[in-house]
Amino acid sequence: MTLARHQKRGLIGAALLSLILIAIGVLAAWFGSRYQLRLVYGAYVNLLVVLGLQVFMGNARVTNLSHSAFMGIGAYAAAICVTPAATKAISLPDAPWGLAAFTLDPLTSAIIAIVITAAIAALVGLFIVRMTAIGATIASLAVLVIIHSIFLFRTDIFKGNQAFFGIPQVFSLTSIVVLSVVVVLIARGFRESHWGIQLRASADDETGAAAMGVNVVRLRLVAWVLSGIILALAGIAYAYYLGTISARPFYFNHVFLTLAMLILGGMRTVTGAVLGTFLISFGLEVVRWLETGPVVAGVDLPEALGLSGVVLGLVIVLTMTLRPQGVMGDREIEDIILRR
Amino acid sequence: MDYAIQQMVNALSFGAEYALLALGLAIVFSVMGLVNFAHGDVIAVGGYTMVAFAAIVTANPWIVILGAIVAAALTSVLLERVAFRPVRYADPTTGLLTAFGVSIVLQNLFLLFVSPRPIAVTSLYFMDVPIEMFGVQVSSLQLLESVTTVLVIVGLTLFLNRSVWGLAMRAASLDFEMVRLMGIRANRVFALAFLISGLLAGLACIFIMARRGSVDPHLGFNPVLKAFVACVVGGFGSLPGAVLGGFLLGAVEVGMLVLLPQEYGGMKDAFVFGIIALILVWRPNGILSPAVEKGDKL
Amino acid sequence: MLDIRNLKVLYGPIEAVHGISLRVEEGQCVTLLGPNGAGKSSTISAICGVAKATGDITFLGQDLLGTEIEDRVRAGISVSPEGRRIFSNLSVEANLQLGAGIRTDRDGIEADIDHWFTTFPILGERRTQSAGTLSGGEQQMLAIARALMAKPKILLLDEPSLGLAPRIVGQIFDMIEQLKSEGMTILLVEQNARQALRISDYAYLLNTGTIQAEGTTATLGQNDELMAKLTGLG
Repeated sequence: MTLARHQKRGLIGAALLSLILIAIGVLAAWFGSRYQLRLVYGAYVNLLVVLGLQVFMGNARVTNLSHSAFMGIGAYAAAICVTPAATKAISLPDAPWGLAAFTLDPLTSAIIAIVITAAIAALVGLFIVRMTAIGATIASLAVLVIIHSIFLFRTDIFKGNQAFFGIPQVFSLTSIVVLSVVVVLIARGFRESHWGIQLRASADDETGAAAMGVNVVRLRLVAWVLSGIILALAGIAYAYYLGTISARPFYFNHVFLTLAMLILGGMRTVTGAVLGTFLISFGLEVVRWLETGPVVAGVDLPEALGLSGVVLGLVIVLTMTLRPQGVMGDREIEDIILRR
Repeated sequence: MDYAIQQMVNALSFGAEYALLALGLAIVFSVMGLVNFAHGDVIAVGGYTMVAFAAIVTANPWIVILGAIVAAALTSVLLERVAFRPVRYADPTTGLLTAFGVSIVLQNLFLLFVSPRPIAVTSLYFMDVPIEMFGVQVSSLQLLESVTTVLVIVGLTLFLNRSVWGLAMRAASLDFEMVRLMGIRANRVFALAFLISGLLAGLACIFIMARRGSVDPHLGFNPVLKAFVACVVGGFGSLPGAVLGGFLLGAVEVGMLVLLPQEYGGMKDAFVFGIIALILVWRPNGILSPAVEKGDKL
Repeated sequence: MLDIRNLKVLYGPIEAVHGISLRVEEGQCVTLLGPNGAGKSSTISAICGVAKATGDITFLGQDLLGTEIEDRVRAGISVSPEGRRIFSNLSVEANLQLGAGIRTDRDGIEADIDHWFTTFPILGERRTQSAGTLSGGEQQMLAIARALMAKPKILLLDEPSLGLAPRIVGQIFDMIEQLKSEGMTILLVEQNARQALRISDYAYLLNTGTIQAEGTTATLGQNDELMAKLTGLG
């Protein structure tokens, strides 16, 4: 297989990003405390989510607000399969369809979770991709609410806002670093693929692309389902590390957190997704610390619940006002390092 | 029979509320292509103003109501000036995300400076009394809501068809630059759109508060989600579409309440949105979507 | 009245007009001629404030560059733009009312609208109909009438004959001639050189963003080579 010039550059870019991701992981493993390791792991999970978001939003240029729900589907599907039947007998005594009666190994569970998420994404996608940009966004918001209300309502399967516990903790920092490297390659690969380029071209000029015979709807659907698969991976990685999940983290707060990450970094590029995720993940820790009302230079600051939300919202508003394309704009990492 | 009429009144009053909310979104969208996610938070500002007025100024409900409407209108105009002006001529996605950010900021400001917990407002209880009409029990609130929405629709129609500013707003939805080339100031058109949107949010706020009796930081989220859906179904940017979508949504919602078994109550919204999705399969851009001009202008 | 010096117009990163100078005196009709892409419409856009430009644009002694679109209209510049751009979702009458958006004399506006409806009975018959249902020629008349509703001191006409049948083109030019005889100052952009030169006093020939030739229509008319080229274009 021969690669076009931009695809070779894409490969270099993905390799550079992978190096950075591995370096951060190694640094965290060497110097981080247990608590800090958890934070870094969380940042990598969010990175997977933001990459999943980028694959659709960055190429189709349609804002999606339902991504956290798909992460939730992946997480719950894997959790239900992988959790030992003995644990489920206690935690999900009323589970229908024999869901509580079997145990699968983590790999099989993950594959099933990915297939289920992709199937649901494809079904939902059939509606979403046909709508105009604004309609699709609002519809995705409705999808978020629907899926969340199902998580809350079917407590016999999902336990709603209560903890779904007993998931084997098979993932470590190493696993998620490896996973994130793979996903960076996938996201970059899609962006530089024939489909990715056509999709981006159609987002810039829909009429023109249609005139060239590009089937925009089908391309969007491909991006949407691929995005869903990556989101499922994020959900699985989340469940396999924490061992406990509930419906709450797959809702609005997480939607706008990850959206802010992508917007700040720049939704058009994979590099932007990576940059935005780490900028906000680490920046937000400072804000969270301020939120608890610490003593700074002898001044006892008041407790400030909501401060992190204000900061996130301001990040979105200011990015949109000052630099709507995000920090990276249209540049990938290799465009900064290599010559054109 | 009584039951059927009762449910129809319910559908009408729900629909009226959604139409009121959807109009507030649609009027801004038609003029500047902005999906105003912060509309719900403008409603919440109205709610908190009620709390402040009732606690500090007076318990007179009419003054409390007036205060809420004025506060909502001013907030809306202020948001245009501070947050939305820089993205005025940007693409719809930029505007949408900006509004999304503004909404998050406002919700968290309520959290930060007021309280995450609901605060009760009792001054509007008097609006909700049962009354008998043609032998059917209805709530005065429902009646008031429907009448208000009808008046708003009539008023807006007159304004948009008769006054120069109304005509300018309609023209702006087609070709804003050309409106400016008539010497009509863009700043005023935008401010006016947000003022009207804010007034509608203020009116909606009264009914929402009278029904719920309390305000919390997320007061506006659910109503505005419904309004969004109403706009999408009706055709985003079309004012008649917003009204139609609102009433349709009200009807579907009451239909679901009647048809769904009691234990599925928590799933009502999921079913409602599901039905709406089917409508969108039939018409992906909404029922009364305005014609989109694709291709180069000028 | 309108004095333009060293005007450069930018469309994004592309410079469409490379430093042209032109003048329009009060009561004159001045024409910009030239083929597609010559920079004629860009010049008009720059005068209106729609396109970014550098150089000097002075109107009645007032520097226009850097002022808002709306202020230029209020200073007395009205335009009938390329492609007419009538408000097709509004009635014919509403289009005219918006044209008078900067005026406050209700009775005067009413009288002017009536004036146009008598001048163009076809518009009067369709006053409540939506403007989108008008034919191309009617839309062009409406666009010019709408521009005049603001009582401008100068009227900019961007390709008023574009895409119209020859008979209608004649009507449009008769209308422009009529306006000129009433004392209106006009800056006309046209590809139809023969018709444009018939009614104007002075003309500039633009090509690829620069002025190739200029002169009174009488002088230009004697330049056979140039005329052959121009009418070939029109």
